[in-house]
Amino acid sequence: MDCSPADLQGLFGTNASSAAAEYICGRFDAVSSKFIDTGYAVDNTYLLFSTYLVFSMQIGFAMLCAGSVRAKNTMNIMLTNVLDAATGGCFYYLFGFALAFGTPSNGFIGRHFFGLSQFPSPSFDYGFFLFQWAFAIAAAGITSGSIAERTQFSAYLIYSSLLTGLVYPIASHWFWSVDGWASPGRADGLLFGSGVIDFAGSGVVHMVGGIAGLWGAFIEGPRIGRFDHSGRAVALRGHSGTLVVLGTLLLWFGWYGFNPGSFVNILKTYGESGSFYGQWSAVARTAVTTTLAGSTAALTTLFGKRLLAGHWNVTDVCNGLLGGFAAITAGCSVVDPWAAVICGFFSAWVLIGLNMLAEKVQYDDPLEAAQLHGGCGAWGLIFTGLFAKKEYVNQVYGGAENRPFGLLLGGGFGLLGAQIVQILAVTAWVSVTMGTMFFALHKLNLLRISHEEEMDGMDVTSHGGLAYVYEDKVHNKGGEIQL
Amino acid sequence: MEVSWETSVEKSINTIYLLFSAYLVFMMQLGFAMLCAGSVRAKNAMNIMLTNVVDAVVGSISYYLFGFAFAFGEGSSSNPFIGTYYFALKDIPNSTYDYSFFLYQWAFAIAVAGITSGSIAERTQFSTYLIFSFFLTGFVYPVVSHWMWSSSGWLSPSASDLFIGSGAIDFAGSGVVHLVGGIAGLWGSLIEGPRAGRFDAFGKPVPMRGHNATLVVLGTFLLWFGWFGFNPGSFDKILVSYPTTSDQGNWTGVSRTAVTTALAGSTAGIVTLFGRRLLVGHWDALDVCNGVLGGFVAITSGCSVVEPWAAIVCGLVSAWVLIGLNIVALKLKFDDPLEATQLHGGCGAWGLIFTGLFAKEEFVVQVYDSGASGVSRPYGLFLGGGWNLLGSQVVEILAIVGWDSISPATVGTHTRVIRRKHGPGTTQTMRGFRTGS
Repeated sequence: MDCSPADLQGLFGTNASSAAAEYICGRFDAVSSKFIDTGYAVDNTYLLFSTYLVFSMQIGFAMLCAGSVRAKNTMNIMLTNVLDAATGGCFYYLFGFALAFGTPSNGFIGRHFFGLSQFPSPSFDYGFFLFQWAFAIAAAGITSGSIAERTQFSAYLIYSSLLTGLVYPIASHWFWSVDGWASPGRADGLLFGSGVIDFAGSGVVHMVGGIAGLWGAFIEGPRIGRFDHSGRAVALRGHSGTLVVLGTLLLWFGWYGFNPGSFVNILKTYGESGSFYGQWSAVARTAVTTTLAGSTAALTTLFGKRLLAGHWNVTDVCNGLLGGFAAITAGCSVVDPWAAVICGFFSAWVLIGLNMLAEKVQYDDPLEAAQLHGGCGAWGLIFTGLFAKKEYVNQVYGGAENRPFGLLLGGGFGLLGAQIVQILAVTAWVSVTMGTMFFALHKLNLLRISHEEEMDGMDVTSHGGLAYVYEDKVHNKGGEIQL
Repeated sequence: MEVSWETSVEKSINTIYLLFSAYLVFMMQLGFAMLCAGSVRAKNAMNIMLTNVVDAVVGSISYYLFGFAFAFGEGSSSNPFIGTYYFALKDIPNSTYDYSFFLYQWAFAIAVAGITSGSIAERTQFSTYLIFSFFLTGFVYPVVSHWMWSSSGWLSPSASDLFIGSGAIDFAGSGVVHLVGGIAGLWGSLIEGPRAGRFDAFGKPVPMRGHNATLVVLGTFLLWFGWFGFNPGSFDKILVSYPTTSDQGNWTGVSRTAVTTALAGSTAGIVTLFGRRLLVGHWDALDVCNGVLGGFVAITSGCSVVEPWAAIVCGLVSAWVLIGLNIVALKLKFDDPLEATQLHGGCGAWGLIFTGLFAKEEFVVQVYDSGASGVSRPYGLFLGGGWNLLGSQVVEILAIVGWDSISPATVGTHTRVIRRKHGPGTTQTMRGFRTGS
């Protein structure tokens, strides 16, 4: 919509005054401004509502966690979920967002926008900050599942602050900031000529949360009674299948903000296509791939566990479903729907296999978080390296026409190589930081709760009482009646 | 050739609107799962919730592979009975249908199977249920939606060749979704028979209360929330202006639809509250929840083409339809744990009739002809619009009942929808452990 008064005046003939040209160009400029404003309004609406959906995953995860632990620990795990959101809010605002997205900066860590100074800027508005905050608090929630039912509450506060304020933002800087060393959006110096494609965070969010949980659970050791004297696994059943299903379906709902929302903008054209196809189509396609991967994973799990365990298990199906979502999160925007079905199918077997392995090595994770988020997340990155479609990669990430894409579609090894580098980098970074932190807490006796507390349940020892009050008159220890 | 700015804006706004409506409709899966869980006995909670999760995941695969094609497959050789293009989303996206439309229709498709699961709860073999769910979402439902919602469908109000000059108006699916689900449930329930112990030796009903009223209320409110995607979202596009007005367009119709939806449900709830107070002597929360849902089911057909005051009438009658059908069901010893047949089937049918009586011509033209001037269509009988719309609505009811009785019955005989003989409840033996909440 550029209008140059000088050029326009020339078209009117040599004797024309500049007034007409300036008037006309002024009108064009006004219309152009309205278009730009419209674009911002549309994109912000889209981003904000996607953010609210991602936030609803907090309640989904809270319900999933509550249902998956024993009743005597319900208050504890729900409080950790609420605090993940609250402490994350503070620390991500103060410095997490800056470390993640503070541009211009170096490839390792950001250094602008601390406390949202210089905000809003042409690159980032508040909606983007809130969207990223919603992601950050999701990562911390994942880890709480692995260390549930046996971790001191102060340890939760420490790990959650460190993860949301430092470890996760730095990892997200590498892959999502335009300056990140492995980012696919770099102007130059793309890793293997490709950069890593982790669209909504199978690695950045799920692997980070899962690997952190892995170290916490491993260092703490299994819950009392989880493995008997001969090393055989004893099921410690969650107390409410209903809450597990409720939480799972809320997470599914929220994933529609998590995956398609990661486009951030919806009002964008892809120049060379027909008259109906643009970023809005890619957004919708991402919602479709998400749906198909989760559904396939759930169905595969349903029949897989029917074969292996002999019955139809709804909590296993729920976990399988979530594993499918965790896997497709990396490549949801750059693969075709049929490929999403393949993603979900294999993700189910990855989860089933890792669960069997965990039992063999006597690793106890009450939410199977390390297996699900870590394992299926890693599979999702590999999957993207195999199935990313050239046309979609170019539309979403731009850049050179001949950039690498999925190996199995003829795109070479560049992308797959980059994905593997991400898996290694994330594992190393999280292990060094969170592993060390958990180990230090362990050595200082600040990590695991006492044997007595674990047997009584943390709700009565640390949180003021049980979550479920079925009688109004209760005889307390002194023999008195409490109402 | 680049996409024009105007098209980009329009497509973006419409996609946002449709996608978020789809997510809301998806929430209804969760709402229905909670409603079902709370309405059955504790020993069967895992079973019914698994059927709800399975409805969604099985439906995703069957609707993606062929359900959407049967429903909306239009091309050079489309026919009025069933679609024949877009299997596994081939040739999607195109200028008519984008991925957002598929996702929205998918969310509707998985809702249908959920309805039926309520009728046959607590006594149906799981493997049979899997097959039935796949078949309902992938074939039975899509064919009906083709008749009503595809522009080549024989009953569609958007067809070039309108059935008796009108076509049937079922805007968001009182018939296509609710009646289909309800009649399928009717057959399943009838063939299976009542739950053991539901009627005593003298044929008197024995109450079988659900195990958790909180879940019923939670589910009801989640369904209400999701209905704001189900009804207004069925406009598909929000950025369409009406040429005979100066400031109205689909955005007006969308909002009005949200209002009629809320009014119908609310009215039905209040009428049920007082109606049941008269009949049973107390204020019953669970009955009110079902009454509210019945009101929503009924208004679903005409939500976009009636005035708000008419929505109140819809809800008022729908409450009595539900109360009446429940009394009839008990007399006939018909056992439906979620009263799904009475609610979705009965109130759904009433909703179609209601539309035939109260549809306003101006709104019909806005919805189905984009408000073009000089267009006239049959509309509600009570508003002077003649018999053609009502006639089409009746034909729709008969067609759905007929189709829905042949197809599931065929499946039923082949797979023997038989009840479990005895045993300590499906949950304990089939799920491996019981729920404790």
